[in-house]
Amino acid sequence: MLLSLQGIRKSFGGVQALSNGNLDVAEGEVHLLMGENGAGKSTLMKIVAGMYRRDAGEMLWRGQPVSFARPAEAAAHGVAMVHQESLLAPHLSIAENIFLGRETNSKIGWVRRRAIVEKARRVISELGFHLEPETSVARLSPAGKQLVEICRAVAQGSSLLIFDEPTSSLSESETKEVFRIVRELCRRGLGVIYITHRLEELRSIGDRVTVLRDGATVHTGSLEGLSRDQLIQYMVGRSVNATYHRESLPPGEPLLRVEGLSRGFVRDISFTLRAGEIVGLGGLMGAGRTELCRVLFGLDPAETGVVEVAGRRVNPKSPRQAVTSGVALIPEDRQNNGLALKLSIAHNITMPDLGRVSRIGILNKRAETAVASDYRERLRIRCTTPRQIAGRLSGGNQQKIVIAKWVARGARVFLFDEPTRGIDVAAKQEVFEEMDRLARAGAAILMVSSELPELLQVADRVLVMREGRITGELTCPTTQEEIMRLAAPLHVAVEAIQ
Amino acid sequence: MQKSLVQRLQRLLPFVTLALLFIALTIATPHFLTAVNLASVARQTAVINIMALGMTLVIISGGIDLSVGSTLAVAGLFGTMAIKAGQPIPLAIAIGIGTGLFCGFLNGLMITQLRISPFIVTLGTLEAYRGLALVVSKGLPVHEIPDAFSFLGDGNLLGIPFSLWVLAACAVAMHFLLENTKLGRYSFAIGSNQSAAYYAGVPIKFHLTAVYAIAGMLAGLAGMVEASRLMTGQPTAGQSYELQAIAAVVIGGGSLQGGEGSVVGTLIGAFIIGLLSNGSDLLGINPYWQQVTIGAIIIAAVGFDEFRKRRFATA
Repeated sequence: MLLSLQGIRKSFGGVQALSNGNLDVAEGEVHLLMGENGAGKSTLMKIVAGMYRRDAGEMLWRGQPVSFARPAEAAAHGVAMVHQESLLAPHLSIAENIFLGRETNSKIGWVRRRAIVEKARRVISELGFHLEPETSVARLSPAGKQLVEICRAVAQGSSLLIFDEPTSSLSESETKEVFRIVRELCRRGLGVIYITHRLEELRSIGDRVTVLRDGATVHTGSLEGLSRDQLIQYMVGRSVNATYHRESLPPGEPLLRVEGLSRGFVRDISFTLRAGEIVGLGGLMGAGRTELCRVLFGLDPAETGVVEVAGRRVNPKSPRQAVTSGVALIPEDRQNNGLALKLSIAHNITMPDLGRVSRIGILNKRAETAVASDYRERLRIRCTTPRQIAGRLSGGNQQKIVIAKWVARGARVFLFDEPTRGIDVAAKQEVFEEMDRLARAGAAILMVSSELPELLQVADRVLVMREGRITGELTCPTTQEEIMRLAAPLHVAVEAIQ
Repeated sequence: MQKSLVQRLQRLLPFVTLALLFIALTIATPHFLTAVNLASVARQTAVINIMALGMTLVIISGGIDLSVGSTLAVAGLFGTMAIKAGQPIPLAIAIGIGTGLFCGFLNGLMITQLRISPFIVTLGTLEAYRGLALVVSKGLPVHEIPDAFSFLGDGNLLGIPFSLWVLAACAVAMHFLLENTKLGRYSFAIGSNQSAAYYAGVPIKFHLTAVYAIAGMLAGLAGMVEASRLMTGQPTAGQSYELQAIAAVVIGGGSLQGGEGSVVGTLIGAFIIGLLSNGSDLLGINPYWQQVTIGAIIIAAVGFDEFRKRRFATA
């Protein structure tokens, strides 16, 4: 075995990113690493590449226990990573980038430009690329940059290459080129770890697959004989979640009415949310679901169309206007947009509604503490005191703070954008229960989720988006296939149904 | 539990440093612990300290204000010119403070409306305000100010330097602002995570503008204290004071990444710098070495801060 990982653990602050990461790769093998967003794929690979240090677990490199403290150390052992977002120096040439950090082939630290260009040319032609070594990297497409990273890895004499979702920003023909290269590398006896969450890609490339879910390896084995459904089941762990089922309510008065809403590629959206309803918003990545939430929350104001909240025309032009009208957004990227991690739980909860606990700009601290403790209890946020720093809590508890601050603000329309991303199974359950409680208390909820089983469990009906438009509405109970049929571009849909 | 104990010790480090410095100087020289000397330390540090209070607010909000030294000069100049033109002293002081407020307000407007980073805006106004002071004064200081004006910077009230009373009042007000007002809370929120604050509906532009206006106002007040201490309106006053103010905040535990800082920490930071320079004078240490020492302390303080952050990485 080239590389073998056993029981790798890693947490950031209070968030457990990996609890039990296992994986092994042989020479000449393409090993797929799959899992949903937040499953811990990138974290595991960054540990291999020396970018993070593991908290616990064993890492063997050619049978020897190792620990890479720095990327340079991993590189010296022969591990290289091709990143999702390029880590090249944009203002240097291709050749300089290929040999960056190792150009000391003259004794006194001079860069021997001509020698480097020649060597780069040799590596490039060996791999069959069409790149001019003296071109500046800033002028390359994302695909071109990945090729340079691959050249760099090969020039360094790497024996293990890690691709972190290389095709997510590439066109179809570029994707084919990447596959060709991966096969070529593997023919030369290199080991390849290929991270992806695109099911379409697997068979054209991989030998074996490892699936991560919620930070732990749930399956390792050959791709042969593994059905698509089994794989999905490993990734989403449907059986664990299937226990939750929500009783729906008779819907009440309309709370959010959207008509003819357009902004950018989000086009002509119309729908109504009623009090007591949870409406799912399904679709593939890039279908425009998050973009729609941004318009409704005033982050990107609408170009045309009408947004009415509780019968009053709002058309928010800023989050502040949306918040004032009673709309709340639980954003997809909790750490960057949802919480001030350095502040306490209490201060996060009262942030949107300081006016309520202050007079002429001066805070009433006792009232503030009372509000914070009240909502901390209601949302069952686990902490020793509301003065605890938000950044120290687990993902699930952090999500509950985000919800608590909107409940405390008295919001009535909730936009949940991927509410269960990066939180553990038990916390997911609690988030669903909280959504149900909100609906029962008369709120209207729009829930975006890429995990179809989740939508089916929680939502009363599901709106499906494709390429910026709503392509249909399904009343629950419905099926994943029905949603996929509306969500996927035609040719993929055919493949999915087979 | 163990972590919180370590953290508590880390919080106390600036205070422990100050206390040790105080004790060491008391032992090292008999001239240190005298009313005259301590009053002189207080007067020397009051100006930087008042500016540093405003800087604390700015740094907590995740910004920086490099222009406060130049603002001090413009404000001091306008204030003393008003006195010379025959205006009553309280009005002249108000004019100086108002000038500072306006300079800070302009900074805030440019930062929030043009969306230029605070570092660049205030680097620009560091030059521009200084240039303005030189243009208006034609490069010449304002002299022959009535003696009564010296009370602000040199007078005593109840046996304590008046500038120390001013500083104390500003410190209490700033502490109250940070801990008990919406503006203070929003400054922490914006500095901790501007995007999250925006998503929560916090009016960011309004509050950031207010933050820079307040910092400018305090720089204006510091300018009047400085003018009173020197009994001139100097267009070249306050050069590199901004760096000392930043140093005081940082030594006192403020983070240039925003969201952290306190009035008490800043006061301690400013007094550490003040005691170091006073102690060096008393002990006859070459003043050039003072600069080296203060530089080393800034780096040590920030290095320590970074070390602390890495251990608490949230990646």
